[in-house]
Amino acid sequence: MTRLLTVLIFLLIGLILASLAFGDIPLSWRELFETITGSPEANLQNVMIVFDLRLPRVLLALLVGAALATAGTIALAVMRNPLAEPGVLGINSGAAAAVMVVIVLLQDPPAALLPAAGFLGAVAMTAAVYLLSWRGGTSSLRIILIGIGLSSLAGAATTLLSTFGEIGDVQRAMIWLAGSVYDANILKVRLLFFWLIIPMALAWMSSRELDLIRFGDNSARSLGQRVDLVRGVMILLCTLISGAAVAAAGLVGFVGLVAPHIASRLVGPSHARIFPVAALTGASLVASADLVGRVIIAPAQLPAGIVTGLIGAPFFAYLLWGRRHARE
Amino acid sequence: MSRSKGMPAARPSGSLSMTGRSRLLALLLVLCLLVAISMWAVTLGTVRIPLRSVGNAIFGFDGSREHLLVMTIRLPRVLAALLAGSALAVSGAIMQAVTNNPLASPGLLGINAGAAFTVVLVMTLFGTGTSDIYLWYAFFGAGCAAIVVYGLGSFGLAGQSTVGLVLAGAIVATFLTALTSAVLIFDQSTLDTVRFWTAGSVAGRTMAQAAAVAPYILIGLAAALLLGRHLVTLSLGADAARSLGQNPLAWRAIAVVLIILLAGSAVALAGPIGFVGLVVPHIARLTIGVDYRWIIPFSALGGALLVVGADTVGRMLFTSQNFPVGVIIALIGAPFFLWLARNKAGGAT
Repeated sequence: MTRLLTVLIFLLIGLILASLAFGDIPLSWRELFETITGSPEANLQNVMIVFDLRLPRVLLALLVGAALATAGTIALAVMRNPLAEPGVLGINSGAAAAVMVVIVLLQDPPAALLPAAGFLGAVAMTAAVYLLSWRGGTSSLRIILIGIGLSSLAGAATTLLSTFGEIGDVQRAMIWLAGSVYDANILKVRLLFFWLIIPMALAWMSSRELDLIRFGDNSARSLGQRVDLVRGVMILLCTLISGAAVAAAGLVGFVGLVAPHIASRLVGPSHARIFPVAALTGASLVASADLVGRVIIAPAQLPAGIVTGLIGAPFFAYLLWGRRHARE
Repeated sequence: MSRSKGMPAARPSGSLSMTGRSRLLALLLVLCLLVAISMWAVTLGTVRIPLRSVGNAIFGFDGSREHLLVMTIRLPRVLAALLAGSALAVSGAIMQAVTNNPLASPGLLGINAGAAFTVVLVMTLFGTGTSDIYLWYAFFGAGCAAIVVYGLGSFGLAGQSTVGLVLAGAIVATFLTALTSAVLIFDQSTLDTVRFWTAGSVAGRTMAQAAAVAPYILIGLAAALLLGRHLVTLSLGADAARSLGQNPLAWRAIAVVLIILLAGSAVALAGPIGFVGLVVPHIARLTIGVDYRWIIPFSALGGALLVVGADTVGRMLFTSQNFPVGVIIALIGAPFFLWLARNKAGGAT
């Protein structure tokens, strides 16, 4: 475990350094070192590139990745379904519908409105899913089914707007929804950091509750857990975390699904171990996706959310393939 | 993954333990509704055509304008909706039986993502052509994606569990969807053309198109109906199936072939209408119980009813003939599904 964490942290540091060095204007390692240490020989332009453009961007990618992975871990445990990710709760479809409405129906919406719309859409949708599935208690299956139903309603609205909306608007919405960290700045990073720190700490502290609830409602209840309370709180945490990630970066898919699976394959079923490994894995996934996305077809950029699918999917397939002889 | 606990029909109470007779009655009711709506759909349009001349057009075609309208526009559209709806719903039911997962739909085998990707690729590389060509590209893409998913999922975990299949499906679908969006973000004209296709529609389908995929769908439906018994066994999980003498690997492969035939043709014909394959089997299970020998015929009729009904309502409410049927399906089907899920699923306390 310690060794694994060390490896992941070194991987992450390597990724950060690479993200600071590579790009439209590549810096040599020496230049990067001079810039970071603030030596008098540092070029003013390089200082601006590193601290104003690349650093916020990589930090935002790390935060978003860690947040999505944490939310995914919670969803996986609470829903007891290998396909569960925050999107099952309606977060993605709610955010997508809200953003589509804002972009297509409003004339020239201010840029600041999009994150707000995404967050509100996600939260409203999750609240609706949870409330509709509450009948003197909830059940994982009912939440999943209600999530499917409401998501398809929101999806119908999104499809309708994207079919009849002005094509430029539709494309703009698609790019926003594809998930990217283009417009990172240090203020956004700070905001996201302080927003995430409490819910993520709470989630990590409730690892034992998640270990319990995964056994099933009846077992957990007979072991003394207040199942509905725990599930409600966990869904709230999941919404706060992934809603903020969506607001910051759009719909970066796949990370929330895959990071917890990778983590549990690496360190076993205990959530106290899964959380840190999943968070680091998710952070590395999004950071490397963003790095690849802006280098591979430069000067054009691929949104990070698309690259997570393009890189993350084969990587996960490789992991599955490598363990094909292991028993589940 | 303990599905049986959450599944409603595990509780032997109320309407869930329907007897054979009430199930048959429900099935007949859906069938009558389906026939009525289909006939009504053919008569409905900018020119109302009485049912009598529809019959004449089919059995004694005389080349008049009215008969031409019926045979080239109305009837193909209704047939396409019937075929696509029943095929999607039945393939969804098979998929849920194979994976034991309530989130499973034909899309999980990569069918929709594969079809969408090949269609977008062909449009970008060769420009937009006639929809006749997309049909085969979509079918081809759907089949390839499903085979890759099955290979990865079954051999990747040596068939130990269906989790492998489910995850492999998620992986391939994500990968293909990411590729598709990467193309669409840079190619506005393709996005403009393909957005109507991805919304799902049966408008403007020709008799030739419907006839092209009809054999696959009919074979798939017949096979699914005949094999219902084996699907029940398969849905019990690999261990139980093996102890009952079934070879779960072989039957899983057969099920995947059926899904490719059914859902691949449906998507090729009508575009990726996701909702039908996901929700109609759930509706069937929530009303009729977990027996796949009943779920499959019920899904076939229910899916056809939903798509034909939605398309007809869409044509009635919006004079624009291009209103995507996928949207109306969700608007009609989702509230009903929500009501069912809220009232019958997951052990009300």
